[in-house]
Amino acid sequence: MDIGGLLKELLLEDKVMIHFDFMNGFFDINKSVVITWGVLVVLTLFILFLTSNMKVHNISRKQLVAEVIVEKLRGITYGMLGEEGLRYRDYMVAVLVFIGASNLVGLFGLTPPTFDLNVTAALSLMSIVLVEAAGIKKKGVRKWVKSFAEPMAVVAPMNVLELAIRPLSLCMRLFGNIIGATVIMELLKMAVPIIVPAAFSVYFDIFDGLIQAYVFVFLTSLYIKEAVE
Amino acid sequence: MDLTTIGAAIAAFTGIGAGIGIGLATSKAVDAVARQPEADGKIMKLLLLGCALAEATAIYGFVVSIMILFASK
Amino acid sequence: MLNISVMNIVYTVINLLILYVVFRVFLFKRVDAVMSERSREIDDSIISANKKEQEAEQLKEDYALKLQNADKECEEIVAKSRKDGYDEYDRIVNDAKNKAEQIIAEAKHNAQVEAQREKDAYVSELTDLVVHAANKIAVSKHDEETDKELYNKFIFEAIEKSE
Repeated sequence: MDIGGLLKELLLEDKVMIHFDFMNGFFDINKSVVITWGVLVVLTLFILFLTSNMKVHNISRKQLVAEVIVEKLRGITYGMLGEEGLRYRDYMVAVLVFIGASNLVGLFGLTPPTFDLNVTAALSLMSIVLVEAAGIKKKGVRKWVKSFAEPMAVVAPMNVLELAIRPLSLCMRLFGNIIGATVIMELLKMAVPIIVPAAFSVYFDIFDGLIQAYVFVFLTSLYIKEAVE
Repeated sequence: MDLTTIGAAIAAFTGIGAGIGIGLATSKAVDAVARQPEADGKIMKLLLLGCALAEATAIYGFVVSIMILFASK
Repeated sequence: MLNISVMNIVYTVINLLILYVVFRVFLFKRVDAVMSERSREIDDSIISANKKEQEAEQLKEDYALKLQNADKECEEIVAKSRKDGYDEYDRIVNDAKNKAEQIIAEAKHNAQVEAQREKDAYVSELTDLVVHAANKIAVSKHDEETDKELYNKFIFEAIEKSE
């Protein structure tokens, strides 16, 4: 068994899928982004299927499913955001579904988009921008700037540092979890090719993926809640 | 055997902290559920979050060791 | 494996925003529209139900009022009919009285006529008797004794007849 070779192949593979010749490959599109497009298309088609032909009375089964999904997802994000951050719950639902679906892609034998650091970096970047934007929108710029010196002026550097630490931690947590799960799954597949990987895939691909999506959204919601208080 | 391998192994020691943290969180959660079985939904949520946060340190260690092994080359 | 490419981050951000827009436009907006429509309908039906209840209440009051009026009317009718009944009774009684008086008068008249007739008959009989007695007296031989007897007989006969 060539574990080193497998890991090298897995981790050091060229992630670029669509290559543009100009600007020294600056506009190259990664494989993860292409898979994200696929996830996007599937989700959009699914939503269009669910919400087509909506009625007020005598609802069909798929409309019931759509309503239940909306209620559940909004319930989850509402529970995390609270009354103050109500307006951000739809975005949180979108992120939750996006990360969850991305992590579940591993079930179909593809590498999850979150396996790529760029995707998780983008997600955490969006999160921190949203958190700070929510803070500014709620408090106004002056109060927002002042809030860095709370509860004491001494901790201001720490608070500023948190601006970088929070997204880094979000990004690395998601990325590390997915990379760990994927590596372990690959090693398992190499060691025992049948049956056992399927059982472990339930944990690593489904449970861990969804938990990480939940944690990501939970932490972002927590930050937003803290920012708008 | 070069020193990078040892460095990667040391980075994997972060798992100790994560294990202790998750163990503590779980034991407290079990205590809490035993004391207040009706609040198990809330406790479960908090436990999950705490575990994910504690686990993050192990994940950082893992990422670091992977970086030491592969990104340095 | 840790190489960051700015464009890929941008691509992912764009993807995420697209997904957010898709969620907003195709899922939340549609479901919200249906739900708000439904809640509006529920509100409407509650309002109309309240209105109907009020109407029913109003109707009930009207009916109660009418019922009261009907009671009054009923009493009036009863009183009127009672009065009518008394009038009729009086009329009938008066009629009967009149008739009875008439009958009594008639009967009196009849009785008078009858009495007159009887008197007449008695007088004629008495006359006959007197004539007869005179005849007898005229025919028979008469002395004081027989005269007395005759007078007595005559008086007796007259008393007998008159009785």
